[in-house]
Amino acid sequence: MKILLVEDDRRLAQEIAQALREENFAVDIAANGEDGLHLGETESYDAAVLDLGLPKVPGVDVLRGWRKHGRHLPVLILTARDGWTDKVDGFKAGADDYLTKPFRIEELVMRLRALVRRASGHGAPRISCGPLSFETQTGVFELDGLPLKLTALEWRVLECLILRKDTVVERGLLSEKVYEGDTGTDSNSIEVIVARLRRKIGRTLIETERGRGYKLNSGAQ
Amino acid sequence: MISRNASLGQRLMIGAGVFIAAALVVAAVLIAFVLHRFVQGQIDQRLDAQILFLSSMLEVDGSGHLRLAGSADGPPFDLRRHGWYWQISGPNNVLRSRSLDGADLTHPDISGAPPPPPPPPRAEDDFLPRRRPAPADGPGPDGRTLHFRILTVSTPAGPATIVASSPREAVMGPLWEAMRTLALSLGVLGIALIGAMLIQIRLGLWPLERLRRAVAEVRSGLRDKVPEAQPSEVQPLADELNALLSQNAANLDRARKHVSNLAHGLKTPLATLAVSLQKQTASSEDLHDLVVLMDRRIRHHLGRARSAALGGPLRARTAIASRADDLALVLGKVNAHKEVAFVNDIPPGLAVACEPQDVDEMLGNVLENAFVWCRGRVALSSNEDGRSVILVVEDDGPGLSPQQMSLAMQAGRRLDERSPGFGFGLSITSELAELYAGSLTLNRSQLGGLRVELRLPGSA
Repeated sequence: MKILLVEDDRRLAQEIAQALREENFAVDIAANGEDGLHLGETESYDAAVLDLGLPKVPGVDVLRGWRKHGRHLPVLILTARDGWTDKVDGFKAGADDYLTKPFRIEELVMRLRALVRRASGHGAPRISCGPLSFETQTGVFELDGLPLKLTALEWRVLECLILRKDTVVERGLLSEKVYEGDTGTDSNSIEVIVARLRRKIGRTLIETERGRGYKLNSGAQ
Repeated sequence: MISRNASLGQRLMIGAGVFIAAALVVAAVLIAFVLHRFVQGQIDQRLDAQILFLSSMLEVDGSGHLRLAGSADGPPFDLRRHGWYWQISGPNNVLRSRSLDGADLTHPDISGAPPPPPPPPRAEDDFLPRRRPAPADGPGPDGRTLHFRILTVSTPAGPATIVASSPREAVMGPLWEAMRTLALSLGVLGIALIGAMLIQIRLGLWPLERLRRAVAEVRSGLRDKVPEAQPSEVQPLADELNALLSQNAANLDRARKHVSNLAHGLKTPLATLAVSLQKQTASSEDLHDLVVLMDRRIRHHLGRARSAALGGPLRARTAIASRADDLALVLGKVNAHKEVAFVNDIPPGLAVACEPQDVDEMLGNVLENAFVWCRGRVALSSNEDGRSVILVVEDDGPGLSPQQMSLAMQAGRRLDERSPGFGFGLSITSELAELYAGSLTLNRSQLGGLRVELRLPGSA
């Protein structure tokens, strides 16, 4: 799961990014509205966390810009503006959720997970795929009822696949969702991660679609 | 033209200056006219007297020639070629003044009318004129412009025309002399009037200058309001100024109170936080509660400080129905994890006399409360009570006990108040409503949960 964090306070941005990474999220940070607008329009994210009081381009304009360019990623507004009029303006610009500062990082994580789950069309918080299940609210994978221990990269790949279970996820999209903006992406390493995942959850669950990508197959066993 | 922001002194000066100049010019013209008539009248009287004198001395000799019974060349008709002439033209001969020195006195034809018909025969000496001589102007024998008086009389020999003339300077000379003096005195009068006007403007505008000084003294802290005893024209301005000053003072007072409340409200949890951090015994949960508490206090006091109602009476008008729909959109998304059926029963035209932001704040808090605590239904409806509008928000949640209700309305929340939503927003809403002379009341709803009645001033 990859998040775009648009926040101009460096310290707060680092704190949030670190907390999200501890929850296995990949995080790109934009320190102003202009960068945020650009990244949101050009890169692929599962969700965005957007401050309203941003330098260069105000947060509400960034959000409108994304929506105008057909970017439908879920957006959570994170701001110190707690007036209802600001909230109404934010939601009218296309926000999906709103959190005011100060906030608890657990609440931010929970809301982001719920936003991403709903955006990928899953109503219930628990997603199952054969012996594998994913608790979206806690981010825990279970195999045959037992918690699965995964590295951050493994978790991101598996989460991306289970949210899109039974559909082919292209390798390019997968590496976009797994690697943060400034780390070099190498599609070979996706294969390495998938190989490691297969050792943990069994060989058949993840199918390779030659030349395209991977699919998490709920019918396999 | 006078520009809109020209000084009052300038306006008065230009106005009065134009008026004084016009009055002086009109006076000069009128006086010149009257003087001219007066001098002319004097001259005419003299010429007429001469004509009368001549006609009284007129005789006809046996051969039908006119002659005078005595000398008629008294001054000024004795001075040669000076413009003072007389001449009598009879049917058979012409008599001239000595001053004409033999020249012929031609005068303009006075009427173009035929000479009057010969009067019926009378006694021999009855030549005296019955009519006044007629005036005329024209060149004299020596080229200068003359003023004539002409009278035709009948004599036994036939009609005779008696003409007496004076030089034009006889009128214009004294006139110009009088006008010179007149112009001088009018000039002096004008200067005196302008001086008086300047003094009057200074005196008239003095109360404004005094008011300016009073305001400057207020600004520098020497006095707290402008003097109330003012000329009646300036009195309303002074009253308005004093009202503004006292309103400002009240606002400042309120703002100071808010800031000190805010400081007080933050210092206590900060102190606790500091102690907790020092001991390192507090759980992160406790620390977080302190942060939440400080945040609530900031929200509370900033919410009040931002409220437009603090600024005094307002003329705002905010329609309720559409704002409620906007707020429900927000709350629906924030509470996306549960299905909430929101019924908005507000008639489209209903409006309250409150600022839109304050309406958002009040209604938002109440609706949020309902969305958080409901099981699945939130209803918004309204009543009108005279000039007030009552907005009713109901939910089907657990509701509050009477004790919880009174607690929910208290501004300062206790530390162990951990439940989300209810309580905190309601106390802000209540205070905002009171700023608009409205109120917030809590009750049990027929839906099962809480019934919140928000009373606000209506707007027609």
